[in-house]
Amino acid sequence: MKHLLIKTFFLFSLVVFFSSDLYAQQKFTISGTIKDSQTGESLIGAAVQIEDKLKSGVTTNDYGFYSLSLPKGKYVIKLNYVGYIEQKITLVLDSSIVLDWKMESRKTLTEVIVSSKRKDDNLTKATMGTEVLNMKDISKVPVIFGEKDLLKTIQLLPGVKSAGEGSSGFYVRGGSADQNLILLDEAPVYNASHLLGFFSTFNSDAVKDATIIKGNSPTQYGGRLSSVLDVKMKEGNNKDFNVSGGLGLISSRVSIEGPIEKEKSSFIVSGRRTYADVFLVAAPDFKDNVLYFYDVNTKANFKINDKNRLYLSGYFGRDVLSFSNSFGIDWGNSTGTLRWNNIVNSKLFSNTSLIYSKYNYNIKIKNGETDFNINSNIRDWNLKQDFSYYLNPKNAIRFGVNFIHHNIAPSTFTGTVNNSLSKEGRQSLENALYINNNYKASDVLTLDYGIRLSAYTLLGGATYNIYNKGVKTESIVLAKGVAGKTYYNLEPRLTANYRINDVSSIKAGIARNTQHLHLLSNSTASNPTDQWIGNSYNIKPEIADQISLGYSKNFSDNNYELGVEVYYKNLQNQVDYKEAADVNTAPDVESELLFGKGRAYGLEIIAKKKSGALTGWISYTLSKSERLIEGINNNNWYNAKQDRTHDIAIVGIYQLTPKWSFSSVFVYNTGNAVTFPTGKYNVGGQTLFQYSNRNANRMPNNHRLDFSATYERPKKGRYQSTWNFSLYNVYGRENAYSISFQDDPNDATKTQSEQTALFRWVPSVTYNFKF
Amino acid sequence: MRSILTFILFATLFTSCKKVIQLDLSNNADKLIIEGNITNQAGPYIVKLTKSVNFNDPNTFPPITGALVIISDNLNQRDTLKYSGNGNYTTNKLIGVEGRTYSLSVVAEGKNYSAQSTMPTKVNLDSLRLVYTIVNAKDVINVTPVYLDPLALGNSYRFIQKINNKLDETYYAFNDNLNNGLANQRPLRSGDPDLELIKGDIVQIEMQCITQDTYTYFYSLSQQTRGGFGGGSAPANPPNNIKGDALGLFSAHTSQTKTVVVR
Repeated sequence: MKHLLIKTFFLFSLVVFFSSDLYAQQKFTISGTIKDSQTGESLIGAAVQIEDKLKSGVTTNDYGFYSLSLPKGKYVIKLNYVGYIEQKITLVLDSSIVLDWKMESRKTLTEVIVSSKRKDDNLTKATMGTEVLNMKDISKVPVIFGEKDLLKTIQLLPGVKSAGEGSSGFYVRGGSADQNLILLDEAPVYNASHLLGFFSTFNSDAVKDATIIKGNSPTQYGGRLSSVLDVKMKEGNNKDFNVSGGLGLISSRVSIEGPIEKEKSSFIVSGRRTYADVFLVAAPDFKDNVLYFYDVNTKANFKINDKNRLYLSGYFGRDVLSFSNSFGIDWGNSTGTLRWNNIVNSKLFSNTSLIYSKYNYNIKIKNGETDFNINSNIRDWNLKQDFSYYLNPKNAIRFGVNFIHHNIAPSTFTGTVNNSLSKEGRQSLENALYINNNYKASDVLTLDYGIRLSAYTLLGGATYNIYNKGVKTESIVLAKGVAGKTYYNLEPRLTANYRINDVSSIKAGIARNTQHLHLLSNSTASNPTDQWIGNSYNIKPEIADQISLGYSKNFSDNNYELGVEVYYKNLQNQVDYKEAADVNTAPDVESELLFGKGRAYGLEIIAKKKSGALTGWISYTLSKSERLIEGINNNNWYNAKQDRTHDIAIVGIYQLTPKWSFSSVFVYNTGNAVTFPTGKYNVGGQTLFQYSNRNANRMPNNHRLDFSATYERPKKGRYQSTWNFSLYNVYGRENAYSISFQDDPNDATKTQSEQTALFRWVPSVTYNFKF
Repeated sequence: MRSILTFILFATLFTSCKKVIQLDLSNNADKLIIEGNITNQAGPYIVKLTKSVNFNDPNTFPPITGALVIISDNLNQRDTLKYSGNGNYTTNKLIGVEGRTYSLSVVAEGKNYSAQSTMPTKVNLDSLRLVYTIVNAKDVINVTPVYLDPLALGNSYRFIQKINNKLDETYYAFNDNLNNGLANQRPLRSGDPDLELIKGDIVQIEMQCITQDTYTYFYSLSQQTRGGFGGGSAPANPPNNIKGDALGLFSAHTSQTKTVVVR
C-alpha cells in the first residue's frame, strides 16, 4: 500500500513535468520583484502581462517574485494590481533580464475590498472557491465593537458561515470549525479567537493580505478538510518610520514600522489590548474579576543580497480571565516563522521555512479549600521546503516537502489533594510531499493540477488503547524511539477554467483533502478548552472529497462580477463524542469517541460591484450538511450543528466625499440546527425533557443590519487620522443566542421556553491615526 | 466550568436580554417512564410508572395502572409489587442489601421492559463540612461531603441537596477518576446561580453510592445545561439501564443522610 502510494506520487510528478510542452525554441526570462513604491512592501498576486497577449501573463508569488519566459522579441509589459496605478514598459528581449518594479498606490480606493487582483482574474484563473481580502479597506465594513476583523468579514462571503452571533469562529461548506487551516505567515493558528470567540486573533493593522480557499486549494496546502485561510503579515515599511494605531471603546492598537537599513530591511511591531476590565473596577460586584486579552505581532525582513532574503515573524497572544480568586483561565497562541527566500535562478524560486506554533491553556480552580489546575497544550515544529519553477509562460510548477513534529499534551489535572491524573503527551510526525502545476493549455483553458502525499506517523513514548464500541480490547505501548502506525494518503486535486468568451467562464474542480488532527468539542460555542487530538489506532485520518462546478460572468467592463458555484462533499472518518461523554476526567478520552461519515452540498452565489462610489457585494448560500455517526441518533443521518439552509449577506460601501464614507451590512440566515424537547416527564421530583432526533429543530431565523460611517480628517503634515462610528444591529433585532426549557417560575404546573439574545444596538467609536 | 466561564463573560461584558417565547415543538411524547430505586435502607421500595406528556401540556404525568412489576435478586428473593396509587408499585418483602444484584421486570400496556442493577458497597459519609470562599467580597458557602474514597478505582456517587427542605435541582454526580483513594474535598456547587446558603439554613445531604450506569445517567443530565450559554452538549435522553423503549432509571444504591446548619 505504502509503496504503491509513493510510486503513484512519483509517476504523477513525471506526468506534471513531461506534459508541460517544452518547446525547442530559445527563450529568455524576465524576472524580478514588485513592491509598493512608498512602503517597500512586496505585492502579492500582482499581474505581469504582455500587451496583445494578456492571457499569457503571470502573477507575483507570496514574496512579490515573478518570472516570465518568452521568445526573443519586442514586448510591451504591463503591470496591474488592484488599488495601484497601472504601469507599462516596452523592451526588446534578447537576453534574460531582472526587472524589479515599484508600483504607486492610488490615493483613494474605490474598488471592492473582496476581489481578485486583476480585474478579470475571476475569468482567467483556475482557482475555485477562492476569495482574496484586501486589508486596505476592511476597516470600512461595520463590525461589532468597531474592531475591524478579518474573520468576521470573511463570514460575509458565500459558503463561509459564522459560528454564532458576534463570533469569529467560522464554518466552511458544512465543515466544522477545526476543519479550517488558519495560517499566519505559514504557521498554523490552533485557536483563532479571543474572548470565547468575540474577537479574532488577527490584528488587522499587522495583516497585509488574506486568502480563503474553500476546499480546492493547491497541493502546497494540506492538513484540513474544509478550507485554507492564508493570512500574511505586513513586512514593514523599508523607507520610512511610521506609527499607526487606533483607540476604541473596548481595545486599542498601536503599530510601529520602519527600516532597519533603508531599502534593504524593515520591521513592524504591532500590539493590541482590550481594557474591558478597566471598567470592571468601577462595578463593586465585579472588581475582583479580570478579563482581557492582548496580542503582539512582529516581523522583520533582511535583504542579504539581490537573491536572498530572510523573514522572521512572530505572534504572541494571550487571554486572561478570572473570577474573583476562585477561578481563572488563561490561554493563547504563539507562533514563529523564519523564512529564507532564495532566487536560485531566474526561473526557480526557493523558500525554506522553519515554523513554530503553540497553543495552550491553564485553568486554576480554587474549590473551597482545594486548589487544582487543568492544562493542555499543542506544539508544532515545522520545516518546509517549497520551490516554484517557472518553466515557461504556460507552466508554473510548485513542489516541495513538509515535515511537522506535533507534541500534544491532553488536558491534565494537577492539584494539592487530587490524585493527579497523569495523561501522557503524544508525539507524531506529519509529513508531506507535493507537486502542483499551473498549466495554461490554451488561450481559453487553464488547468491547475497536482498531488499531495501525506504521511502521519505515531511516535513512541505513549500508550495507545484500542476500543471496540467503547470497550478496551487492546493496549499498545510504544516505547520511546519506536514509531507506531503510519497513515499514508494521496490527495489528488484539479481545477480547470474554460473561458467561454471575453466576459464569462466555467470552472470545475475536484479535490481530496485529509486531516490528521481533530478538535474534540461537545459544545456549540468555541471554547478555549476544546482539545486537539491526533490520529491513533482508533482515530483515522479524516478524508473529504469535493467536486465543484462554477460559472463566472463580468458585466460592464468588469465593473460587475457574478460568480456561481455548486459543490458536493463527501466526508469520511468524522469524529464526535458519544452521548454523555466524560470529556474532562475520563482516563483516556479515546474511550469517549464515536466515528462516522458526513456529506455536504450547496449552491453559492456572489454578485459584486467592484468600482465606483458605491461598491459591495451580495452573497447567498443554499446548503446542507449532515452526519451519520454510529451510536448517535439511532444510527440515522442527522443535521450537523452548522447546517443552515439559507445565508444572505449584503455589503455596501459608499464613498460620499473624499472625507466621508458610509457602509452597511445586512445579514439573514436560517437558524442553527438544534435539538428541542418533544415531550417531558418526571424523575426524582424533577421535570426532565424528552428528545427524539438530534438537531431536527431550528433556532429562529437571524437577521440584522449594521451601519458605519468613516470620516477621514484632512492630513496635517504627516499626521493622518480617521474617525469610525458604527452601530451594530440598527433595528435592535433580538436574535436568539440560546433557548432554554424550564419549569415556569411563576407556575410550577407548566414549562416554558426562554430565549436569550445577546446584542441589541451596540454602538462604537474608533479613532485611528498614522504618522 | 464552561458555565462559570460564560457566566463571567456575559455578566461583565454584555447585557443580554431574555424573554419567554412560543415555539412550535413537535409532539412525540407518550413514552413509558420507569423510576425504580432499591436502597440499603428499610423498604418498602417503589417503582413508579408514568408517561411523558407534550411540552405545552401541564406538568401532570399520567400514571400507569394494571402493570405487572416484579423485582428479584441473585439470591432468589422475588417480589411482585403491589399498586399503591399515583403510578407507584410497592414491594412487600424485598430487602435491599449491598452487593446484591436486583432485576426488574415490567409488563405494561402489553410491552416488556427489564433492567438490572447491583448495589455497590457503602462508602461511609463521615461528615458534612462547610466551606467558605470569598467571591467578589462576598462569602460564598458550600457544603463538602466528607468521605474517604476506597483504593479500588471505579466508585461513583450521587448527592441530593435539600436546603430548608427544598430540593436543589442540580445533579451532583461524582466519580473517583481524579481522587481515587483520597478523602473528598470537592464541595457541592449548585448550578442555580440564585441558590445561596446563608446563616441558619438547614442543609440536608443524601449520599448515594451508585453503579456506573446510574452515574452515566446523572452525569449526562448534569452536562445538559438545557441550552444555556455556551450551548452545553447536544441534548439527548440520558442513557439508562432499561431494556425496552422506556425512559427513566432503575438504580440499586446505598443511601445515607446527614444534616448541617449553616453557621
